[in-house]
Amino acid sequence: MTVSAISVQDMHCAVCAQKVRRSLATLCSIKNAHINLVRRQIYIEHQDNQSVLDVLAAIEAAGFTPTLAELSNHDQEQRQLLKRLGIAGLAAMQVMMVAIALYAGAMDRMAPDVQRLLHFTSLLFATPVICYAAVPFFRGALAGLKKRSLTMDLPVATALTMAFAISLHATVSGQGEVYFDSVVMFTFLLLCARYINTRLQRRFDLSSKLLSALPQRAWRVKNHEHQSVALQALNPGDRIWVPEGAQIPVDGTAEHDPSNTPILIDEAMLTGESEWVSKPSQAALYAGTLNAGRGFFMRASSRVEQSRIVSISRLADKTELSHTRVSQFSDKIAGVFIPAVLTLAGVTFVVWRFVEPANAVTAALSVLVVSCPCALSLATPAALTAAMTRLRQLGVVLTNSLVLERALTIDRIYIDKTGTLTHPEPSIQSTRTLTETFSQSQCLAMAADLQRYTSHPIARAFRPYQSQTDQPSTLTKVTVYSGQGVEGFTPENHRLRVGSAAFVGLAEESARNLNHRWVYLALDQQPIAQFELSNAIRPDAVAAIQALQGLGIQPIMLSGDHPQRCAETADALGIEFLAQQSPETKLAAIRREQALGGHVLMVGDGINDIPVLAGADVSAAVVEATELVKSKADVLLLNAKLTPLAQLFHIAHRTHQVTRQNLLWAAAYNLTAIPLAAAGFMPPWIAALGMATSSVLVMINSSRLLKGTLNFDAPPLSQGRNQASKSNESERFTNDLGRNNGSDAPAPDAKTVRGLI
Amino acid sequence: MEILTLLIPISVILMAFAAGMFAWAVDNDQFEHLDKHAFDIFEEDSGDNL
Repeated sequence: MTVSAISVQDMHCAVCAQKVRRSLATLCSIKNAHINLVRRQIYIEHQDNQSVLDVLAAIEAAGFTPTLAELSNHDQEQRQLLKRLGIAGLAAMQVMMVAIALYAGAMDRMAPDVQRLLHFTSLLFATPVICYAAVPFFRGALAGLKKRSLTMDLPVATALTMAFAISLHATVSGQGEVYFDSVVMFTFLLLCARYINTRLQRRFDLSSKLLSALPQRAWRVKNHEHQSVALQALNPGDRIWVPEGAQIPVDGTAEHDPSNTPILIDEAMLTGESEWVSKPSQAALYAGTLNAGRGFFMRASSRVEQSRIVSISRLADKTELSHTRVSQFSDKIAGVFIPAVLTLAGVTFVVWRFVEPANAVTAALSVLVVSCPCALSLATPAALTAAMTRLRQLGVVLTNSLVLERALTIDRIYIDKTGTLTHPEPSIQSTRTLTETFSQSQCLAMAADLQRYTSHPIARAFRPYQSQTDQPSTLTKVTVYSGQGVEGFTPENHRLRVGSAAFVGLAEESARNLNHRWVYLALDQQPIAQFELSNAIRPDAVAAIQALQGLGIQPIMLSGDHPQRCAETADALGIEFLAQQSPETKLAAIRREQALGGHVLMVGDGINDIPVLAGADVSAAVVEATELVKSKADVLLLNAKLTPLAQLFHIAHRTHQVTRQNLLWAAAYNLTAIPLAAAGFMPPWIAALGMATSSVLVMINSSRLLKGTLNFDAPPLSQGRNQASKSNESERFTNDLGRNNGSDAPAPDAKTVRGLI
Repeated sequence: MEILTLLIPISVILMAFAAGMFAWAVDNDQFEHLDKHAFDIFEEDSGDNL
């Protein structure tokens, strides 16, 4: 019995989950299925691989697009961490309660036997904390030592071990001070920070990566018979049927077709460009791209592992490896601090042995406790956690906390055009009626009714205009002409056509504006309406660009598109651009910039952006980006907006400030307290109190990051409040992510940019 | 002060119980999908626990 995870990204709500559940109910080959709506995954227990394929087919039949996901052990780790946190929290409550009695007793001369009893009680509660809850720190420290690097886990582990060992000795021998309270509180607070961090990243741990970018099954044609086979079963030379609207399963070439109608391919996911490519027979086809036209036969030229999409992803992995490692500031401190503290404690002990042997242990202990790097090790994570929480509320998720450090150095932002600066899918910009007979809305409704028979990207633009009621369409004899349009007949037997100019019998109008394309509607022979479609610039793009420029960062548009089209978009936004770029030249542009000492952030959405994203110092992806891109990006913009990017830089700067204050405070505290402790002026309990206070101050200072944002209402940007219609997509994401999410963000907006292009 | 010798073991037992319950709750997905019951109203049939 094995467990497989299937990810169903279009399962958004409980109703969808119910549908999926019903589709699975008929299968008897699976033992158990568990649907996780938050992660949009289904976990099934099954006997053999065939049953997984059955499940995929059943879910697909229910109208969803399932993909096999790798089963991650992330959930298991998360649970472990939550358990450790819970145990530490419960123990901390008990130990602190006892500690208060002990503090009071120290002033009020507590009876020694009672004190001893309370020490043993604390020991009892602190033991599970050290042996179970604090294990991640010990593991981290050991792993660090094995790699011969001093991580912040090492001082934490050292302090915990020392404080516990000394307290244990004091409890058993009945002499000296105990520090169980410090041990448990320290562990609890650090585990809190760690738990919040992993939780933030959890949703975006997309392990399915490649698998989700490719279809699961392909139609292999053998002896005129269509067989549905797994992708891995395809071999070079296999003849494959690619139905209309399906993804191409492997790299290959188109077969010669007697009708000579060209094949239309939507390569947007590979190249990021929305324009369909017309392919003659024998032309190269790439796995993962979409068949936008008629169905056709192709020959596989390679196995799926050798396809271009896989090699792009490998290129990205390699680029990632060559990344210059930015080591965390706190780790650098740890490298100096830990040996120094240990030496100092040793020196204190030796000196006191000669001066006053009775004080030697107490003084050395005070040094260790007072220098316990609580505040120091909390300084960075507390600030980072607060900043990441705030950013998440603003719709920015960081998959890597180093981003906040790297963002400080960024001086250039490269932004992909199609799908990033503009909306990923075309939408209807205007409707022009060509006769007096029908109103605009009537024309839109008729066109939308016809378009529901195809799943082309263009047809999707008409979806918002389809009648909301579920009543069946009154059209009959509907025919889809691939790459041209759709035809249907009204009940009165009038022919209705929607499609290209040629399809409705018009001469192709010279394109006034290259970023736009036209779709026509014709009744019988008479064209009655013209729809203008384009990928609109995101409503907040101008505000975001201006805000970034205001922060001294230069945004540059990168695109594989035609220079003239790029110029139009770039002019509307007021930025520079590089047109007709391939993934390789994009990467080269970034490398050039980096060679000159620049630091680059790249924002993208398509698979072709992956090498560039990996090569950039910081990579960001918009919410509509393909899963593979999102899984590789450091930053995810969840609100379908670009302004949060500016927030990221603002918050990165503030985080830097707060971290510096925290570190300064922690260092100042340690520098004053350590000499006092070494000189024997500080009994260990005062040392512990001081340590706790310094940690609390660090936490309070960090919590300032939870409030405040970049103010977009500054004079040059005051262009009114947000009127942008959030897409359903962004709503969905914000809703999923948290209830208090996004809505409180000051939503800046430019005036509708549509008019400008 | 003798009462402590009774109260402390009681608190230890209660604590162990609380920790055990917490571990059980985590292991049984009690914190997994906190909105589940809000979604339950969409479910048409009950008892079907696929």
